[in-house]
Amino acid sequence: MSGARQEWVGFSLRRVWAIAVNTLTESVRQKVYLVLILFALVLIASASFFSQFGFGDAGEQGALEQLKFVKDFCLGAISVFGMLIAIVGTAQLIPNELEQRTIYTILSKPVRRCEFLFGKYLGSALLVLVSLLVMSVMFGAALKFKGDNYLRVVRETVERAGENANLEEAARQTERIRAAVLDADLVKALLLAYVKLALLAAITLLVSTFSTSMVFNVAVALLIFFSGHLVGAAKERWAESGAARFLLALVPDLSVFNVADDVILGDAIPWGYVAKVMLYGAVYLAAVLAAAQFIFAEREL
Amino acid sequence: MDAIRTENLTKKYNLGWGRGRLLALDRLNLRVREGEVYGLLGPNGSGKSTALKLILNLVWPTSGAAWIFDVPCDKVVSRLHVGFLPENPYFYRYLTGGETLEFYGRLCGMRGALLRRRVAELLEMVGLTAARDRRLSGYSKGMLQRIGLAQALVHDPRLLLLDEPTAGVDPIGSREIRDLILRLKAMGKTVILSSHLLAQVQDVCDRIGILNLGRLVLEGDVSQLLKDQQRLSITVQDLPEGARGAVESAVAAAGGTVVSVEHPETTLEDLFLKALRKDEGGARP
Repeated sequence: MSGARQEWVGFSLRRVWAIAVNTLTESVRQKVYLVLILFALVLIASASFFSQFGFGDAGEQGALEQLKFVKDFCLGAISVFGMLIAIVGTAQLIPNELEQRTIYTILSKPVRRCEFLFGKYLGSALLVLVSLLVMSVMFGAALKFKGDNYLRVVRETVERAGENANLEEAARQTERIRAAVLDADLVKALLLAYVKLALLAAITLLVSTFSTSMVFNVAVALLIFFSGHLVGAAKERWAESGAARFLLALVPDLSVFNVADDVILGDAIPWGYVAKVMLYGAVYLAAVLAAAQFIFAEREL
Repeated sequence: MDAIRTENLTKKYNLGWGRGRLLALDRLNLRVREGEVYGLLGPNGSGKSTALKLILNLVWPTSGAAWIFDVPCDKVVSRLHVGFLPENPYFYRYLTGGETLEFYGRLCGMRGALLRRRVAELLEMVGLTAARDRRLSGYSKGMLQRIGLAQALVHDPRLLLLDEPTAGVDPIGSREIRDLILRLKAMGKTVILSSHLLAQVQDVCDRIGILNLGRLVLEGDVSQLLKDQQRLSITVQDLPEGARGAVESAVAAAGGTVVSVEHPETTLEDLFLKALRKDEGGARP
């Protein structure tokens, strides 16, 4: 096409982006979002589990407990569904490309292997991001719905009591319920959940660069996911053994990303901690992607 | 300049776990000149696909080397001018024909109005304009092969590698693909196609190479290879009944021997196509 002879094809973000968008399109058209509908159903079930709108016998304390329950349940569900999307969405990418031979048509164009791999990863990280955002919005809506109901109960109590109403107490109750709903630390918990899932997707991609079986990829990724949550405890247990510590260092400590329990109990999470954990995730992620590229560049197709 | 040059290109596949190595391609020396249509023939497993994959750097040679337009083929830049149609391609079933070509165009650095124009042009060229907005999951085998050809052409490459372009396609479809290859040749493209459908290759190729068990066993110009220099056939129209003896004795008088006298047969492919055209009035959706 060009008259002058081109001597070099550089790394192109535009090509990476084209592959990422294609990967995301695949997930959407293969109806990965059905998992999100499942999440919505679970959410509705949980939010309406305590269907009484009054404070009941437990009073205001009961209302706050129920908001805690919704948070606990939803953050747990986001973690599980996010894990499913990250692992299953990523594990099939390279096996599918090989099976459909589409990888041949892509790599026979002037496309670098690292562009292909990073494009695939970016597509899957975007899928996880979009899913997490959708789930977070649904979660927020459920929380607000519950909170508004309790605020109405407070208002009605005040109206019924008329002149005898304890306005100070009602104001304090309103304040506490609002604080429980609009908890900024929830954002931190979701942010760290995303970093964890992005790392999990990268690990799954790394596994799929040397295997050809999707089942194997999913199995290994699940194994790493679960051992990643146990590794923190294991480190304390075998703190003296050098060999054990070396092996344990290879498995990412995924439990550091789980701040949901602290959020629910109302313990403050300092931004410093969030930043530290995100840095840990980013460094780990970069290492995993570099390893994936190292293996993929040497793979015969 | 050669479009493709290989020197002692050799590929051994590890069979793994002590089962030894399979010699898939054995010291292939190939030269394909720019502008010609080269047919790589051979039975299944003779190394045709391996040769193409080596040239595209999808697998690496055990020894030897290959060049595309004099650029070593382990360089990404060597693929700027190559289009490839793999054997039995499936593509992304969830994309439409138009989206497929746009995706591949973007990979080649095209975008905007230029990309849209190119996509429309290619769909027209392979006769899929009407199927532009249909997903590939609903395409027939012949349509897939044609979108595959369009995909290989998206960046207007000078060289096309087609691995079994007509495998599994019906006679009309494969005739269409054949005509496309001839048009590409007329446009000055170099085409290398692998096939085991010999009649087709004979129609389109300038030169052929025959591979067997990874070795190039025969190579040359199709017309030269197929010409029987010892014999001459004359086809005569409307010869009166009694005149045949006179012709035969004239041949004998000149010192020749009449080996056979017969009515020429049409090919089954031609017969098939004629019958269908008569039935449909030549139209095809």
